[in-house]
Amino acid sequence: MIKAVFFTVLTLVFFFIIWFYNPFVHRETYQVPREHMAIINDYSKYAKEGRELFQQNCQACHSVRYDSMYLSSAEANPNMSALKEKYGKVLPRNVYEASFHSDLMALKESFGKVPPDLSTAYLSKGPQYLYAFILEPQKVLPGTSMPAVMEGRPEETAKIVAYLRSVSEPSPQEKNKRTLMGFITIGYLIFMGILLFLWRKKKLKEMGL
Amino acid sequence: MLGRIGRWIDERGKFSDLWRSQMVEYKVPKNLTFPYAFGIMAIVALVIQIVSGIFLTMYYKPDIHLAFDSANYTIMKEVPFMWLIRHIHAAGANFFLAVVYLHILTGIYYNAYKKPRELTWIVGWAIYFVLLMTALSGYLLPWGQLSYWGMVVTTEIPTSIPGVIGETISVWMKGGYELGQITLGRFFGLHIWLLPLILLGLVSLHLYLVRANGISNPDGVEIDKKKEGVPFHPYITLKEGAYVMWYLAIFFFFVFFHMSHFLPADNYEPADPFKTPPHIAPEWYLLAFYTIFRSIPDKFLGFVVFNLALVLLLILPFLDFSPLRSAKNRPLFFIAFVILVISSIALTILGTMAPTPTNAMLGMIFTVGFIGFFLALPVISIVEWGWYKAKGGRNQ
Amino acid sequence: MEASRRDMLGLAIGGLSAIGIIGALYPFVKTLAPSASSLAGAVVEVDVSSIPEGQVRVVSWKGKPVFVVRLPQGFQWQGKAKQEANFKLLQGQDTYAMVAVCTHLGCVPLWKPQGEGEFNYPIFHCPCHGGFYTPWGDNVAGPPPRPLQLPPQKRDGNKLIIGEAGFVKELT
Repeated sequence: MIKAVFFTVLTLVFFFIIWFYNPFVHRETYQVPREHMAIINDYSKYAKEGRELFQQNCQACHSVRYDSMYLSSAEANPNMSALKEKYGKVLPRNVYEASFHSDLMALKESFGKVPPDLSTAYLSKGPQYLYAFILEPQKVLPGTSMPAVMEGRPEETAKIVAYLRSVSEPSPQEKNKRTLMGFITIGYLIFMGILLFLWRKKKLKEMGL
Repeated sequence: MLGRIGRWIDERGKFSDLWRSQMVEYKVPKNLTFPYAFGIMAIVALVIQIVSGIFLTMYYKPDIHLAFDSANYTIMKEVPFMWLIRHIHAAGANFFLAVVYLHILTGIYYNAYKKPRELTWIVGWAIYFVLLMTALSGYLLPWGQLSYWGMVVTTEIPTSIPGVIGETISVWMKGGYELGQITLGRFFGLHIWLLPLILLGLVSLHLYLVRANGISNPDGVEIDKKKEGVPFHPYITLKEGAYVMWYLAIFFFFVFFHMSHFLPADNYEPADPFKTPPHIAPEWYLLAFYTIFRSIPDKFLGFVVFNLALVLLLILPFLDFSPLRSAKNRPLFFIAFVILVISSIALTILGTMAPTPTNAMLGMIFTVGFIGFFLALPVISIVEWGWYKAKGGRNQ
Repeated sequence: MEASRRDMLGLAIGGLSAIGIIGALYPFVKTLAPSASSLAGAVVEVDVSSIPEGQVRVVSWKGKPVFVVRLPQGFQWQGKAKQEANFKLLQGQDTYAMVAVCTHLGCVPLWKPQGEGEFNYPIFHCPCHGGFYTPWGDNVAGPPPRPLQLPPQKRDGNKLIIGEAGFVKELT
């Protein structure tokens, strides 16, 4: 009995550390003021505003391909509409990069590298980092070639992060649907397990075991 | 009507006879404990991986320019419900390996590898090895930063072998001097065809061997099946069926609510051969071996020792020749087992930490603990033979 | 009492298993449903002046080939169609769009401005099984059961807008 408890606890602690929270690994964290975090959390409401802000401040260098938003210079290119017609709203990466190679290379000339596409930036960086980095790039990543476009405009920065979130994450309604699905699935499985156990008990009694 | 169709089929297929002879008249020990259910959980995990994997191949594109978008746009956003199937596949891989590890540890604890089950153990080891290869090749497919750099590090490991051999193995794995389209294509083929087919064959063989030799016993005594056994169905099937339901409940908790560890953030950045991500470590199921490799200062020695750990696991049945069975009856073995478990856990967790000198030192200590378990087994066996003789050759 | 409770349990397990199997199949079946992008209503604009008179241009609308036909001024057609559904809808339009998918078995018909076989005037000919359509897509001869489908379309000056309701309100 003691052995069973010992091994169970050991197993649970182990999987907690590797699958939930690892206290031995230190990760950089950044603070977002509460009112701005509220904007990011209410992303479906601010997505449209954020999208416009993105177009004004970011689109010159960054694309969001999953939202069919490309570099301003590429969008102005007369080939763009034909490409979209042929390949769909979201151009395949190689098609996009080959078609607008000169635009991307011009950016590489001035910034040292091609500014990344931000379709999955929210998922890879998280809201805190994005907010802190867009607001003060040099402070978060010294030496970066990203200009401090949004300096002194924290609320608008939060709206841009909200827009990036709306591109990466499903809408709140969809999320609620998924949560409900999860609860039903888990509830069903637990209940089914209990029923099987009860049935087994009955059956064994009949068999005299 | 349905009954008549059923009878028609049964008269020809003899399925009810098969069921009776294989499920009801098949007798197993009455005292099987909870850990015996890890085997069936692993089979369930395999089925889940195969079904979800087949659906993923419908939309995944094994092309270095398109792979990332096919995984993160087409699958996650465009095709209805594919996000769920990708979540299931990603979480399923981790759960598969988790239950396989628990299954291996159960086997060690109850000495399920002893005569006549050595071959079962060896086939099981092969399953484990192929499973690691499958997981490794599958991890490359999304072509994110972690996929890419994880594979870079993996394909660099053979270069620890001095001389031209290591270099050649590394280049052959990649199909060139760097990771590219050729590498992705070959790992895709291996991941979806060759390795799963080998896995299915090995699992069938493993199951056949389990049936042929009978299930082992937590008490370490073989039962007289006629008298003491209980029918496999419904005694075990329903019990383990319930366990499987609860296992799946935990699994789906992760699938719906906690995917951040199975689809890690860094892998949402497309692979960039010019920039290594700051936190680069293998997946948790490889970390123990990785830490062994990393902690030993000499690269080639590290390579030898972590391969030795795998080989020792393979030849475990021959290292342990004690007449006693099951850790329940073997206090010395129990202590060694606890050291093994603690060492494995410590090695895994050390692997997630930064490679500081202190951690390297700790890594060495736990490597000794891990390898020590296997090397101590012959000694323990000799001591236990002494006890066995002194007690007059009786088992307990 | 005993027996009925056991039956209840058995029934519950049976019923719930059936629900569980359906539930497990549901997402897999749903993945086969049309994806988000294919459901999006596409709008295609065609510049009418770029098509020579009496010619046909093929454009893509919602992934389907669509004929944009521009008739010459004062065009008269000598043949006789089995139906006149399309003709009635398209009357008075010199340029219009039709889904270029034969209503028989889905091939793409060919535009024969000089005629084909017994028909010595402009006609659409489907090469697969010998179906014939008028320039307005009404079936003339052969196996096609009904006229070619017309997408919703609108005329705006020199532009034909396919995908928006205009002189054709919705897909026929």
